[in-house]
Amino acid sequence: MRELNEKEIAFIGKITAGVTHEINNALASIKEISGLMEDLISMSSTDSFPHQEKFLKVLPRIRDQVQRSVNLTTQLNKFSHLADERTAQVELNDFIEHLVFLTQRFARIKNVELQYQAANQAINFNTIPILLHMALYNCIAYFLSHTADGGKVIIHPIKNGDKYSIHISFEGEIVDKSKLFNDISSEEELLILQEAISSLEGSAEFDESSQSITLNFSIKHE
Amino acid sequence: MEKIKILLVDDEKEFVETLSERIRMRDHDSKVALNGEEALKHIDDDLPDVVVLDLKMPGIDGMEVLRRIRKAYPNVQVIMLTGHGSDKDEKEARKLGAFEYLQKPVEIDTLMKKIKKAYKQKFESSMMAATFAEAGEFDTAKDILEADKENVDKKKGKKEK
Repeated sequence: MRELNEKEIAFIGKITAGVTHEINNALASIKEISGLMEDLISMSSTDSFPHQEKFLKVLPRIRDQVQRSVNLTTQLNKFSHLADERTAQVELNDFIEHLVFLTQRFARIKNVELQYQAANQAINFNTIPILLHMALYNCIAYFLSHTADGGKVIIHPIKNGDKYSIHISFEGEIVDKSKLFNDISSEEELLILQEAISSLEGSAEFDESSQSITLNFSIKHE
Repeated sequence: MEKIKILLVDDEKEFVETLSERIRMRDHDSKVALNGEEALKHIDDDLPDVVVLDLKMPGIDGMEVLRRIRKAYPNVQVIMLTGHGSDKDEKEARKLGAFEYLQKPVEIDTLMKKIKKAYKQKFESSMMAATFAEAGEFDTAKDILEADKENVDKKKGKKEK
């Protein structure tokens, strides 16, 4: 796979942001039109519209799907802005919550629950958001690729003075436990993770017994 | 219940015309402008009580429209309704005097509550002006009450010449 440079990534982000904005506009129109239908039906008598009750039950389902879609486009829009600047200030709890939302589908396909335990305080620092996203995503992807079906991935950020860690653990059955973290240099997710962590000036610890990966960083404020 | 005069400003025709129809079904007066220039012309000709304004539009954008409304017609309340929504935009809009900043899509009941609240604020400003006038502080009362009327009359006077 060809590596993308920063300008190319920023370009992808910009187009994605524009299109998600247009999708949001279309969703807003759908919501208003279905709302207008509800208004009109509510004004009709049951005699003139015998299926009134059924329609009034069905129309809110359109509204629910619109809201679901809006949540998705809002989070995608947020993701597309990750590449606006190379470095940015982030709050780690919000950042991880966003990542969990974006990767739910991958976990759901494997019947894996993605769980996030917030730190007991805000963790603000400067980082390269897209690389941090990639590092965390590949930790999750690694566990998903080593489970047959089911289990739980738990992500837990911790602040300790001027350092912070992100602990990613897997509870459940690993397909072949002897292969877990056995050959880091041959596993794509871990290679990408290592590269990203290196660029972020952090470190990664792999623990086979607890089925976990811990990413360690120093907090930078610029 | 008093009829509120509302101007909806958005370049998404389908969205804004449907919303306008729903507002009229709730017994308020609602008109539509599809861009900033149209909105400003409409406000000059027929002053609304509340403007519901999109942020990103072709031509004059929502922030500039807000700036001009707040300068020329400070008693007109403006509610931003946008799908774009960054924290930075919200801060700037509120600094310029937007009454509220909402994200699209919005529940009609939520929007109507905010419109009524904005209208109440406008009404209270008018009451405040009356209080000042009663106390003999006519300049202050005039500043509050006649800001909009003066500007409308000036522009009408210019056109008639």
